[in-house]
Amino acid sequence: MQLEATELTADELALQREVREFLDKRLEPGTYELGLGMTGATDPDFSRDLGARGWLGMALSSTYGGHDRTAVERLIVVEELLARGAPVSYHWIADRQSGPSIQKWGTEEQRQKYLPGIASGELSFAIGMSEPDSGSDLASLRTKAEPTEGGWVINGTKIWTTGALTATHILALFRTSEHKHEGLTQFIVDRNSPGLTISPIPFIDGSREFCELSFENVFIPDSERLGDIGTGWAQNTGELVLERGGVDRWMSAVTILEHWAADPAIRDNPLALADLGSLAAKEWAFHGLSLSIARMVDEGKSPVTEAALVKEMATRYEQDCVEAVLRHWDRAPDLTSDDPHEALLARALLVSPSWSIRGGTNEILRTIISKGLASA
Amino acid sequence: MSSEFDVDPSLISTVSQFFSKKSGHEVVVQAEAEGLLRDLWQATEELGLPLVGVDEEAGGNGGTLLDILTIVKLAAQNAVPLPIAETHLAAWLLARSGQKVSEGPSTIVPGSPRDTLALRAGVLSGIAYDVPWARHVDRIVALVPDETGSNQVVEFSPASCVVTPGTDLAGQARDKIELPDVAVTSAASTISAEQLNERGALVRAAQIAGGLEAVSNLTRNYVGERVQFGRPVGKFQAVQQHVVVLAQMATMTELSVTRAGRAAATRPASFEVYATKLVANENARIAVRAAHQAHGAIGMTQEYRLQQLTRRLHAWRSEFGTEVQLALRLGAAVAEAGTFARIATDDNNHLEV
Repeated sequence: MQLEATELTADELALQREVREFLDKRLEPGTYELGLGMTGATDPDFSRDLGARGWLGMALSSTYGGHDRTAVERLIVVEELLARGAPVSYHWIADRQSGPSIQKWGTEEQRQKYLPGIASGELSFAIGMSEPDSGSDLASLRTKAEPTEGGWVINGTKIWTTGALTATHILALFRTSEHKHEGLTQFIVDRNSPGLTISPIPFIDGSREFCELSFENVFIPDSERLGDIGTGWAQNTGELVLERGGVDRWMSAVTILEHWAADPAIRDNPLALADLGSLAAKEWAFHGLSLSIARMVDEGKSPVTEAALVKEMATRYEQDCVEAVLRHWDRAPDLTSDDPHEALLARALLVSPSWSIRGGTNEILRTIISKGLASA
Repeated sequence: MSSEFDVDPSLISTVSQFFSKKSGHEVVVQAEAEGLLRDLWQATEELGLPLVGVDEEAGGNGGTLLDILTIVKLAAQNAVPLPIAETHLAAWLLARSGQKVSEGPSTIVPGSPRDTLALRAGVLSGIAYDVPWARHVDRIVALVPDETGSNQVVEFSPASCVVTPGTDLAGQARDKIELPDVAVTSAASTISAEQLNERGALVRAAQIAGGLEAVSNLTRNYVGERVQFGRPVGKFQAVQQHVVVLAQMATMTELSVTRAGRAAATRPASFEVYATKLVANENARIAVRAAHQAHGAIGMTQEYRLQQLTRRLHAWRSEFGTEVQLALRLGAAVAEAGTFARIATDDNNHLEV
């Protein structure tokens, strides 16, 4: 396995400057709630402002309100957002996953219906995959979609769905037949569908973005089925797993590090400087890995194993970032502190174990990487 | 995207095949017993490899920094027991100081805090420690201060030194040399000791990248063949984890070396180079442990290839920048800049380490 080095072009550097100038004004320090990478705060106004700048749905086709931009260009925008702990949650999943899924597998009608709203930041998506008895083993899903007049009736429970309470839609995977893998189909579910109850599952830090979705005879028109019946599994294991190699897999703690690096007290503390230096070297290395993968995607390649390989170690690195700052903190950080940086550190300590779980646990990833290496 | 720094694929395949054929397990064993194998050096020199990356006007073979990094990486993949990296550093230092380079194995005085080499009125004296290959090479090149404190490049024969033989962890020569007032010719150097150290760090990181790739491949093949409990041990998830870690360490190191090389070829790149050496060092530490664990007892024996690679990784880790030194310097530069995120996102973060 070898990833190729690449640098940003003049146009890409210009985009980066443009994004920085915009964000320097739009997100002045202290005026917004600092986030931990992809789980930044939910701020529909901010998402719409990004949409107006053309920085959402970048990879989507301009036919549907997107911007025909490259994976590298999207990486540049996302990196700047995460570097500031920006409030990205409202648009995050739609921009990263649901939009590209709908563009790839959706009908013309679905594309016209959803993609412009995703690119403008109006629509917010959540992902409905896990169930009480199905986490990593997605093929064991049981929540059923049964055919009925004009559509499908859904019964069952989805859990651990981030952002469902504030989402406008949920892209969910349901069982449409008993075939293990070929019996799964994805649907676009309106958040206000009758019979759908969304309730928070309090997260370890007390936040309430994690949700349970209870479906009781929820009707979904057949026009909201994504792709052919039975193709849901393939949709979820295909090219979209390339997002695993993204910058969001190593930037969750970057706002904490940013604050720590600027603290004058560490300049006289060799232990702290050594920790900082070691993390900085890795940060630089991970940027190179993600950039290389994005460039490969733009070249039409499919670096699935590479992306999994990066995610598995990148998430461990972001956990190390939290630990490094923590071991130089002179007390247990306070989740309710008036100092937003201390509160953020406390949150990071609590939630960081989730970073190597979400989007494919490290154990599952190792199996994927291992198979990929064996067949290389 | 193609780039001016892309290395000719035919160079890569030619050099890779050459080293793989010429530097098998027995050859490395022989070199450990006998020292520098002159026949092997001769064959490598006939391909023009050691002087790649040094300008033709200076007597080198031309080519880019990325070309020579590729050559030392491929040599390292095959545990080639020759001072190719050291000859490059010596030739580069001479060429950059307006001196002509010539063929033959050479080495560089890496420079340790204990060194006392100094030039006074054209006479070189003092002691230098841990000089790789010193007793076997045709010439030793060093960067030394003269009486005014400015750096001079000097070149001398090991025959003019009192050599106290030593070995590195890979069983290669690493000697103490003592110069009892030797008259030498010298040239004012435009290269500082820091720049030499930086070049050394990059070259050693390239070697580590090669070593890691070899260790990763060797381990993956071994666990696919070794059967225990009725199946290849690579079928066990616990063993697969080692294979995955090795691929990660090799991939990250290799890409970092190339990125740092491309940066260093065009502009000051001390941050990139030292970050790469630190990443390479830390990855080597993790990979050596994983590779040995996956191999079990056989990997600990001298009759098996793995230790020829892992012992080299240990040696390269400790030269031209160790972990704490590098981490402290990088950390101080980051703290001085007062920003962490920009280190990654800026194509050129302009940090001086």
